[in-house]
Amino acid sequence: MSTVRGMKERSAGTVKMPRRWGRVIKSALFVSSSFAVAGCAKDAPQDTWQPAGPNAKMIDDLQRPIFFIAGIVGLIVFAAVAWSVYRFRDRGQAMPEQTHGKPVLEVTLTVIPVLILIGVGVPTVGTIFDLAKTNDTEMTINVTGQQWWWEYDYPAVGDNAGVYGISEPIVTAGQLVIPEDTKVLLRVTSRDVIHSYWIPKLNGKKDSVPGRVHLLRMEGSEPGVYAGQCTEFCGLSHAYMRMEAVVLSKADYATWVANQLEAYDSPSADNALAVEGEKLFLQQCARCHQVNGLLNADGSPNVAAPDQYVVSGAAPNLTNLMTRNTFAGASWDLLTPECRDDVWNATPSEFGERYLAGVSEECLNQKDLRQWLRNAPEKKPMYADPTKLAETGGKYRGMPALGLTEDQISALVAYLLELK
Amino acid sequence: MAIIERPSSEVVVTGGPTVGVKPSEALGVFKRPAASTSWRDWVVTVDHKKIGIMYGVAAFFFFILGGLEAVLIRMQLMAPSGKVLNADQYNQMFTMHGTTMVFLFVMPMAAAFANYFVPLQIGARDVAFPRLNAFGFWSFLFGGIFLNTSWFLGGAADGGWFMYAPNSSTLFSPSHGIDFWAMGLQITGIASLTGAINLIVTVLNMRAPGMKMMRMPIFTWMVLVVQFLLLFAIPVITVALFLLSFQRSFDATFFDVASGADPLLWQHLFWIFGHPEVYILILPSFGIVSEILPVFSKKPLFGYPIVAMSGAAIGFVGWGVWAHHMFASGLGPVSVTVFSMATMAIAVPTGVKIVNWVMTMWGGKLLFTVPMLFSIALVVQFTIGGLSGVTHAVAPSDTQQTDTYYIVAHFHYVLFGGAIFGLFAGFYYWWPKIFRKQLSESIGRWNFWLMLVGMNMTFGPMHMLGLQGQPRRMSVWTSARAGEGFFNLGFWNRIASIGSLVLSLGVLLFIVNVVYTHKSKKVAIAPLDPWDGRTLEWMTASPPKEHNFDAIPTVGHLDEFFHRKYAQDATTHEITQVATAEEVLAELNSHPDEHIHMPSRSYWPILLALALPIIGYGLIYNRVILAVGVAMVVATMFGWAMEPSTAADDDFDPSAPGDGGGHTKELAPLG
Repeated sequence: MSTVRGMKERSAGTVKMPRRWGRVIKSALFVSSSFAVAGCAKDAPQDTWQPAGPNAKMIDDLQRPIFFIAGIVGLIVFAAVAWSVYRFRDRGQAMPEQTHGKPVLEVTLTVIPVLILIGVGVPTVGTIFDLAKTNDTEMTINVTGQQWWWEYDYPAVGDNAGVYGISEPIVTAGQLVIPEDTKVLLRVTSRDVIHSYWIPKLNGKKDSVPGRVHLLRMEGSEPGVYAGQCTEFCGLSHAYMRMEAVVLSKADYATWVANQLEAYDSPSADNALAVEGEKLFLQQCARCHQVNGLLNADGSPNVAAPDQYVVSGAAPNLTNLMTRNTFAGASWDLLTPECRDDVWNATPSEFGERYLAGVSEECLNQKDLRQWLRNAPEKKPMYADPTKLAETGGKYRGMPALGLTEDQISALVAYLLELK
Repeated sequence: MAIIERPSSEVVVTGGPTVGVKPSEALGVFKRPAASTSWRDWVVTVDHKKIGIMYGVAAFFFFILGGLEAVLIRMQLMAPSGKVLNADQYNQMFTMHGTTMVFLFVMPMAAAFANYFVPLQIGARDVAFPRLNAFGFWSFLFGGIFLNTSWFLGGAADGGWFMYAPNSSTLFSPSHGIDFWAMGLQITGIASLTGAINLIVTVLNMRAPGMKMMRMPIFTWMVLVVQFLLLFAIPVITVALFLLSFQRSFDATFFDVASGADPLLWQHLFWIFGHPEVYILILPSFGIVSEILPVFSKKPLFGYPIVAMSGAAIGFVGWGVWAHHMFASGLGPVSVTVFSMATMAIAVPTGVKIVNWVMTMWGGKLLFTVPMLFSIALVVQFTIGGLSGVTHAVAPSDTQQTDTYYIVAHFHYVLFGGAIFGLFAGFYYWWPKIFRKQLSESIGRWNFWLMLVGMNMTFGPMHMLGLQGQPRRMSVWTSARAGEGFFNLGFWNRIASIGSLVLSLGVLLFIVNVVYTHKSKKVAIAPLDPWDGRTLEWMTASPPKEHNFDAIPTVGHLDEFFHRKYAQDATTHEITQVATAEEVLAELNSHPDEHIHMPSRSYWPILLALALPIIGYGLIYNRVILAVGVAMVVATMFGWAMEPSTAADDDFDPSAPGDGGGHTKELAPLG
């Protein structure tokens, strides 16, 4: 009789039994308890199981029962394997019946999964089409991704103007601001490579593809700030391309719009540092960064031309920079940690007021902002090799290091604080 | 048996299965190389067994390389704002990790097993086109090396293994890394395609007498389905890579938006290849496990026809699901619905296999050897990965999951917990047949448990990370997005990173096992049939002789070898052993085939393969080098076609003493 050599456990069959059984139970328990424990994680800002808007809720209502069914199926399989491993281990029994198959059983165990999948498939189709509905849109915003930040353009059209007071286009970056309970439609595209727009608590993601416009609904049920991230690999700083969606009550939203549309005010003469900063801004920054209403020395309005200097052709509009609280592709906060907590952890009723307060001098995160102005490419990887600018016709891919002195940086910071 | 050319009337046909061949007039410049026992034999061999071993060694080397890349990634992601790798290095690392594991490890390792065992399992002496087989191996090896020289030549590819356009263009990725990637994969693609043609012809034409398709071992079935998938999928990626290379090297505008192109073209081409590719990755391991579970349950595979047919069904339906990788790409609800439903449909033939495997064990007599442990683990872990896959099939929830770590968890469960565990099961199962010794069961148990715990520790938490919103392909993660609470992103990232070290230790133990087994004087030579196998590859010497079988068996059943050892009483249904493995083999060898003709060694496969990376370097750097490479291709093709069809000493009669040119046709034992 041919023997199985090297099998030391023939005599230790009973000792090994719990380990066999144990292994299957262990992996099953690990995975299922992990899911249970996930509920203990508080406030992961991009958690996909904490919907804060109707679109995310539609997805969540669909996914919960499906995960549950998958879990049950998994447990059944684990139990069947565990039972086989325990019950049918070699205990010296005779060679078993050489069963080749049981067609009735096989057909039944094929039909049952088919039925389960039909049960999953039907509501899936419904949800796909519900999520794709756009004919009840109340507000439209153009979202453009580029390496490595998001631009928002609120066009002065239709209900945008009529209902929400957007009488002129508003162009911002980083934080998308929308009114509560409003069916907002994002028209998403890209200026360079493929990115993806994703605010998990409000909706699934949608890729931003150059040359195409994709539609994505965004609707928040409660005032607050909702974290998001670019979720399509887009190069060096893919990890540093973030954004937030800010939901304001309708009244607060009107205040926000009005503030965005207010005319520009140069810093007053008694803020000498800011006045110097404005001059510096015109020299160093304004060729890429637009600030509406900023005048050149000769009195003409400054028009930024990032298409001449930047590969993607755009740089963030800084007109009311301090009315948002993140910068550099939402990679860093403009707020100090305590002030940030105040805003991010505010209750829905407090949130609007705190957000609209903007960034004050006491709350400004000097450290990160100054590091950025000092040497942006060191802080956020933006081009692998600066000597390769020849490949891009001399254009930068991201903000360059400008070689500013500390005093110049202080002046700029003072000026930026005025952009509210 | 080898393909016959020009049967000579001077040799009498004796009624055996082979016909003597008169060597053709030497048209070529070189004679066919003579046999030897040194390293030279490996360079000119066309023996499927040696080629299989070479595939295995090379693939395992790339596994270690890909694993190191993975550990570096996990070390970078262990803590927020990691400093182990900068963003550029990180992007190269995850690109090469995925590329290496898919193209340079799993595919060639499956080819290693297929090459070694398919001819044995079907009772053949070699594959249909032995020189093409050798060429395939060398192409893979040189392509893999070529691809990895990019690390030293300006940086490896950095666009992700899926290489989406326009990020893959020279504007966004100026180094040559992506050029190396594209050319390298073209070269390894040639290996896959020629291998596919070879194995399809072999399985369809060269089965032993009596081996109908439904009597073939299930591993051979799965390999056959995979070859058909390769046959149709590799041309698609070939086209995509050509478009990419032409855009990067010659300013073509296939993916240039300004010229009117749609970047989604790349995605469609890539995923039409990419989805069948994942079935190419998993089906061989399904085949391995479908062989092992019956042997160690002492029962046949439950529902063999269903398992074979569902493999074919997966291969077929797998062509209709590619855009489930594109649910967030802007397809529109109708397309999304179609692909979502198709993806759910494909869960059915996959789930059927799980049922059949469990039912194979059910009512059996289970012996928990190391191959059996790996196989049972595959069943459980593939189920986990498959169920998370079903949750992605639901397109709306996929728009939350795609491009997050939840997807990374899914595919590592099916690829590591599935495909790789299956390959390790194959190592332990077939090692004694290939290398004459069984790997140590006790070290093997440590190997298994550490890999099991390590794998679940690394990839289990990734489900949490993804559902908590951590995207993929990020060179750093930040505490600002990590969440408060104990079980936040930080916690799960840390566990996953520690898990990767445990997993590495497990893999290291496999290497330790191999070294120990072959260096230790205490490990005995394994018997011919250590596991009481059921299929024909066990009905040979260990390792098999160069010509595999002294006599090609005539097959009367599925699990032919089992039926030669055991008989079932018609009335009592009791099964008794009627012959040992050694007795069965002796009986078979007592009537050897006369006049066996074996395929001859050749220089040309390796020389032709060597020309390919030369063309690659030429396209990237210098037209002169390119011209040399092209000339070499032409010259070696001529050499291949014109060389003598056979060497004089490859005709021999195993029963006649002294015939065979003075050597015995036994493979020198390894280790």
